[in-house]
Amino acid sequence: MSDFEVITDPVLGEEIWLTRTSKGLPLRVLPSQRFAEIAAVVSIGYGSTDLGFDLNGEKRRSPEGVAHYLEHKLFEDEDLHVFERFGQRGADVNAMTGFTRTTYYFTATSMLEENLDDLLTLVSKLHITDENVDKERGIIEQEIRMYEDSPEYRGFFDLLRCFYGEHPVRNPVGGTVESIQGIDVEELTACHRAFYRTGNAALAVAGPVDPKIVLELAEAWELPEGAAPASKFPEDLAAVRSASGHSKMTVARPRLLLGFKDRDLLTDPLERRDRQLHSQIILDRILGGSSEIREDLHQRGLLDDSLSASYMGERSFGFTVLACETEEPEKLAGVLKEVLMQPMQIDEEHLERARRRALGQYVRSFDSLSSLAFGQGEEALEGIKPFALIERLEKLSCAELVERHREMFREDSYAMVVVGG
Amino acid sequence: MTQQFAGFRQDEVNGVPLLWRQDRRFKTFRLTLHASRPLDSRAASRSLLPGLLLLGTEKDPDRPALSRRMESLYGAAVYPSAVKLGETHSFRLGLDAVSGRFLPGRPDQLGEGLSFLTDYLSRPSLEGGGFPEDRFERERSQAANAVRALEDDKTAWARQRALTLACEGEPMAIPEHGGLEAIEALRRQDPEEARKDFLERGEMWAVAMGAIDGNELIDRAAQMLQELPERRPEPIPDPVAVEKRERRSLVERRELQQCKQVLIMRQPRCESVETWVGRRLFFSMLGGGPHSRLFREVRENQSLAYYVSANADRNKGIAVVQLGLDEEAAEKAEAEILAQIADLQAGNFEEQELETAKAGILSGLKAVDDSIGQRCAFTSEQWLQEADRSPAQQAELYAKADKAQVLSGAQDLWLDYSYLLAGEQKGAAS
Repeated sequence: MSDFEVITDPVLGEEIWLTRTSKGLPLRVLPSQRFAEIAAVVSIGYGSTDLGFDLNGEKRRSPEGVAHYLEHKLFEDEDLHVFERFGQRGADVNAMTGFTRTTYYFTATSMLEENLDDLLTLVSKLHITDENVDKERGIIEQEIRMYEDSPEYRGFFDLLRCFYGEHPVRNPVGGTVESIQGIDVEELTACHRAFYRTGNAALAVAGPVDPKIVLELAEAWELPEGAAPASKFPEDLAAVRSASGHSKMTVARPRLLLGFKDRDLLTDPLERRDRQLHSQIILDRILGGSSEIREDLHQRGLLDDSLSASYMGERSFGFTVLACETEEPEKLAGVLKEVLMQPMQIDEEHLERARRRALGQYVRSFDSLSSLAFGQGEEALEGIKPFALIERLEKLSCAELVERHREMFREDSYAMVVVGG
Repeated sequence: MTQQFAGFRQDEVNGVPLLWRQDRRFKTFRLTLHASRPLDSRAASRSLLPGLLLLGTEKDPDRPALSRRMESLYGAAVYPSAVKLGETHSFRLGLDAVSGRFLPGRPDQLGEGLSFLTDYLSRPSLEGGGFPEDRFERERSQAANAVRALEDDKTAWARQRALTLACEGEPMAIPEHGGLEAIEALRRQDPEEARKDFLERGEMWAVAMGAIDGNELIDRAAQMLQELPERRPEPIPDPVAVEKRERRSLVERRELQQCKQVLIMRQPRCESVETWVGRRLFFSMLGGGPHSRLFREVRENQSLAYYVSANADRNKGIAVVQLGLDEEAAEKAEAEILAQIADLQAGNFEEQELETAKAGILSGLKAVDDSIGQRCAFTSEQWLQEADRSPAQQAELYAKADKAQVLSGAQDLWLDYSYLLAGEQKGAAS
């Protein structure tokens, strides 16, 4: 059995135990006696964008929504309903699918071994029949319809369709009512076999647990060994496909979504983390609570508190998205584009406040067991060492933020969408 | 003199009960001041107050200045809010910050944080007895727009609409934001009058927990609370009770993909904790998650809805069942829900169903101590209910609850209102 490496942060007083199982699964354990609860997270490097791949020499193209469909179907097995089984042990179990990940997790206050064994088994064993796959279709259709009633959701994916002509990130995570008609037992089985493998997964457990017991269970996990096929993504880094779009929908207040597409990509996970940090600091500097620009837009009645701004960067795509409610979407889009593209003013005082804020947020995350388990599951899958943020914050400079700002907001990577009638 | 309450220490600080617990397991701390008033026609001015407090104080005259100060305090968060709890409107002003122990140079986060909170509470930026005209107008306009935009969140809007219709004539019908008309009729002085009213007449208490030193907390809290105006707290009246009546219903139509069904059910308000324990177990078995009857029967076995849940409001004696479904399924879904309620009320449930409901609640109570936010909320709830139980003591009540207690908690439940938010034309939403 593998040995653990223990990494400790002396200021935070936290330790994280790291290892790989004999089948190559990255495992992280945070054996904290501070909590009564246990949180366990299985991260699979497979999401809604993984539609094209080669399997056994055959080129495959999956229908949109297959990763999400698979997540639903893994919650079905031969015995009692999975939810009931966890429920009887007082545990909450759930899962979520994103663009590049599917994550399964539970929280419980007892019976670690039963709950973890159950979670691992449900992720690795697919119990499907034509009948139960067809039955699930109705439930997923309802879920898709529910999301389509959300103006923010509709606008977000219409904005991604402005950014990307080819890349599958333009598709809703759950697919469409039409696309999921093409998902069947063969498709789900092939995708499960291909992507649910130890080389494409990670396990993180936090709480009052014995790392050795967690390792024993992880060693016994029957997840097939090996790497997943590399998903093929179309080269989609050119200028945006369309600079503006309109989501036609009856709404009480129009929504504006605008953003900028990254025109270059980073393969190194740590560099991507830095870009994420830099991008968020830039957005806070320009449009956060302490920004004079934002205050000015408020005072001029152009902007209200509905504004949100975020950045998302992955191996094959990256983008910045701003969303808000407004009666004058075109006018506000012009103003926001202008303020984002003008040279950014940032000095050491701004930088110090940004550092403090990020450090506070980081320390705070150690008071939440679930955030710890999710964060470590993510970092284990990406191969990022624990406690790396503190060092990155110390290195932060105005020059690199100015440089990132310059590449982040470019005329030909800009698009906007109005949601309204 | 220090007493104990619900596992916290209790001190009287400048006439305000301060419930606190030093807990070195955490790296952060939180202090929240609560003040409760009856939910009434002043709801709009009370709801506008939190947003206005965030726009400036005497010391930090605008929002950027306040935000800079929060960033300097390592991302400390100050969060004023006005929350509807049954027929009570509760003002909360909280501070959430990282302890200086884990930060470079060990800054005085508690002292700085509470001084900051005092500025919000007692020294807002005012002009001539009210919030500045331009800020008031901006905040009012934003609040009105936010209320309009609520209609775009179909699930939340359907729930609010159903409660407004079902509870017409009762304070419960007033939405948390007070309503569009009330917001538009506000005067500049109203939010400041609401602030003074909360501080003078509100039933007030404070809860604190985390990486704090008790003596230091009491000293700092005393400095903050000594700035309160002279207090004349008034009790909160009991919520309005309603006699059983015939089921009422309404279908409203909007452009949407998935219909929303809301059933408003009534039950006498729980006076005893034993009845509430039985009732909570009953609602957990009925619609409290994937283990529940409604999830299994309405969603999984009969595929009538995508989601379905049921929960009871202890503060009012009301329960809400919510579903997302096709319009064609609504009638059958309602009948199935009533059948499942009747079945449970008749005692037709397995011991395992009760044990599963208990396991979920007990696990939740065991984990309450893991979260400062949840533990403070638990203590506040105990204070409101005058219950004085720790999570472990509360868990004992659930652990020993039996079938008879569940049946007692399930009694006298009746359907008052059935509301359906459907597609523009019948069947269009499927």
